[in-house]
Amino acid sequence: MEKQKFFSGRRERRITETLFLLPTVLAFIMVIIVPFLIGIYYSFTNWDGVSTAMNPVGLENYRTIFSEPAFLHAFLMTVEFTVLNVIAVNVVAFLMALLVTSQVKGRNLYRAGFFVPNLIGGIVLGSIWQFIYASILPAIGKSLGWAGLSSSLITNAGTVIGAMVAVNTWQYAGYIMMIYVASIQGISQQVMEAASVDGATYWVRVRKILIPLMANAFTISLFLTLTNSFKMFDVNVALTNGGPVTMFMSTPVQASELLALNIYNTAFKYSKMAQGQAKAVAFFVVLVVVSLVQVSINKRKEVEM
Amino acid sequence: MKKILVLVLALVMALSAMSALADITIVQNKVEIDGVLQEYAAEYAKEAGYNVKVNTIGGSVSYPVGLKAEFQASEPDIFVIEGPADYELYKDKIFDQTGAEWTQYTDAAYMDGDKVVGFPVAVEGYGMAYNADILAKAEIDPATLTNVNAYKAAFEKLDSMKEELGLDAVVSMVAGTTPGMTWVTGLHNFNIYLTVGLDRNDTSIIDKVLAGEVDEERFHAYCEYVALIFQYSDPDMLINGTQDMQLAAFANGKTAFYHQGNWMDPSLMELKPEFEIAYAPHAFLEEDTDGILVNPPSWYVVNTNGNVEEAMQFLNALATTEAGHDYMVNKAAMVPAFTNVEITPTTPLSKSVMEWNAAGKTYSWQQYKLPDGFGMGTLGGIYELLASGAIDEPTFEQMMKDAIATIPTL
Repeated sequence: MEKQKFFSGRRERRITETLFLLPTVLAFIMVIIVPFLIGIYYSFTNWDGVSTAMNPVGLENYRTIFSEPAFLHAFLMTVEFTVLNVIAVNVVAFLMALLVTSQVKGRNLYRAGFFVPNLIGGIVLGSIWQFIYASILPAIGKSLGWAGLSSSLITNAGTVIGAMVAVNTWQYAGYIMMIYVASIQGISQQVMEAASVDGATYWVRVRKILIPLMANAFTISLFLTLTNSFKMFDVNVALTNGGPVTMFMSTPVQASELLALNIYNTAFKYSKMAQGQAKAVAFFVVLVVVSLVQVSINKRKEVEM
Repeated sequence: MKKILVLVLALVMALSAMSALADITIVQNKVEIDGVLQEYAAEYAKEAGYNVKVNTIGGSVSYPVGLKAEFQASEPDIFVIEGPADYELYKDKIFDQTGAEWTQYTDAAYMDGDKVVGFPVAVEGYGMAYNADILAKAEIDPATLTNVNAYKAAFEKLDSMKEELGLDAVVSMVAGTTPGMTWVTGLHNFNIYLTVGLDRNDTSIIDKVLAGEVDEERFHAYCEYVALIFQYSDPDMLINGTQDMQLAAFANGKTAFYHQGNWMDPSLMELKPEFEIAYAPHAFLEEDTDGILVNPPSWYVVNTNGNVEEAMQFLNALATTEAGHDYMVNKAAMVPAFTNVEITPTTPLSKSVMEWNAAGKTYSWQQYKLPDGFGMGTLGGIYELLASGAIDEPTFEQMMKDAIATIPTL
């Protein structure tokens, strides 16, 4: 009797819930929270990543990184890449979503086809596209006599970011398209038909009905593409490896080295773990601020049916 | 404490007096030679009367970590060090082999001042590999390529005969960050400045570089040599070329020279080049510098706490017996660091490295003393700017100097 009383009602539920949560919470603490805190701690030291010597240096690393041309350049390039990439991926994804939800023949095949590039891993994809950019496109350009294509687009500092956007769009637009497709299919056909009866053309219907009603899909898609672009790493490594080299603040820097790759190189290539951690902390803060702003703006545009 | 020590010493002496030879253990880091080394050790054991156990650390375990673990378990008698970092760590345990029989046949031993401490496992080398057929057709004698003026004349002549000889470019060279080739420029090519023309033990130039300074005259000559190589290379190859593309251009007879080391031999043989290949020196000075850049990647050292006698015997046999030579050259496909080895490798680049080494015409590698990432990253980027034509030679020289000046602050 006593036992049953102890485990009954609200209290029993709470214990059960806690027990069920425990494994996940423990795993989360172990692999996310603890490394995150240790990382913040490292950013205030001079640790090189291997040696046993580690001394606190206060804010030194933060001062260094914000006067380092390579880091500032990587920051600017990441912003440029993010802006271009978010626009390109979402525009392409939205147009593809319209295509595969229309009455066009073979739309199921398109749906699958557009999604397939997303199944290829970033490193493999980067290597394939490196070959395309370095060998295939110049060969085509030369045989057609197009000056713009006859040299590799990824070893030209002016075009390399655009080339990366093209590859990322090719890979990622299919995935975002799926979100738009789901959203479009969730909109009642009656509304669209009613507008059509009232004489609204297709583009008016898309602009005045579809897009406002899809606002929550835009919130998610923009959030995903924004964070994905900001954190871009695998395609960056495999496709361009940060190259080519260009001048910035009268120092040679890597033209396509985005933030994540810059952090990785600082920590592992140059054996400056502590500085890399300081960059990672700065990166985290910026990413959180940017995505919070984006989500709150998008949320305001969402409407209920 | 003292008593125990005396007791141990007495015991050791008693054991060795019994003349029963103790077994030894080797800990090494080359996975690819594990099998052949085991075989050689087994053969050796039959003759020598004691067993030799080979422990190879590699694959998923990093060698420095694995070696520490080995030392925790039971101290090996012979182990491998990969450079100054390892040496500093194990210094107290490393036996002074000065005067050992093998030391007279090599100048690539790991030295601590005047002490000979490390037995070179093998040597690797690079220079300006050339296509002997093309040079013969252009009537250039590779033996004359020992100063920068000879190179200038040769490059000019070959360049003017490009169509006749079917060449795309004179030199097959790469410098691009994107295909990940900056180690060729920022490490191996930069080492030309560090050691060519100097005695193997002469560290004056690298010491200066690490202090942030350069030898003006020598550095200027070096930078002009870099510009010369780039001038006669395919500009597209310089920036976009991968290791395979660089090799293919040379192996297919599309270039006369090839800037790579003998580690490319296996890939080179796959392309079946139909001409003779050998190395010419990287001679960037006006005066003659007749030698290529050769260094052991790692060394065997003997543990002071181990069975020193047997370990030394094993190393001596490796360097002085026919079976040892056969193992190094034919079985393990390495270029031995010893001048008394008469078997020659069959692959062209290794063969040439061996000939230069046997002739004692070699310069050392010092580039591994540069700070992490500095050669491949910082310097590599500046080489690429010169290769792409974004900067000219004087700017290149200045930017290199500026970068080197930052070394003490790194």
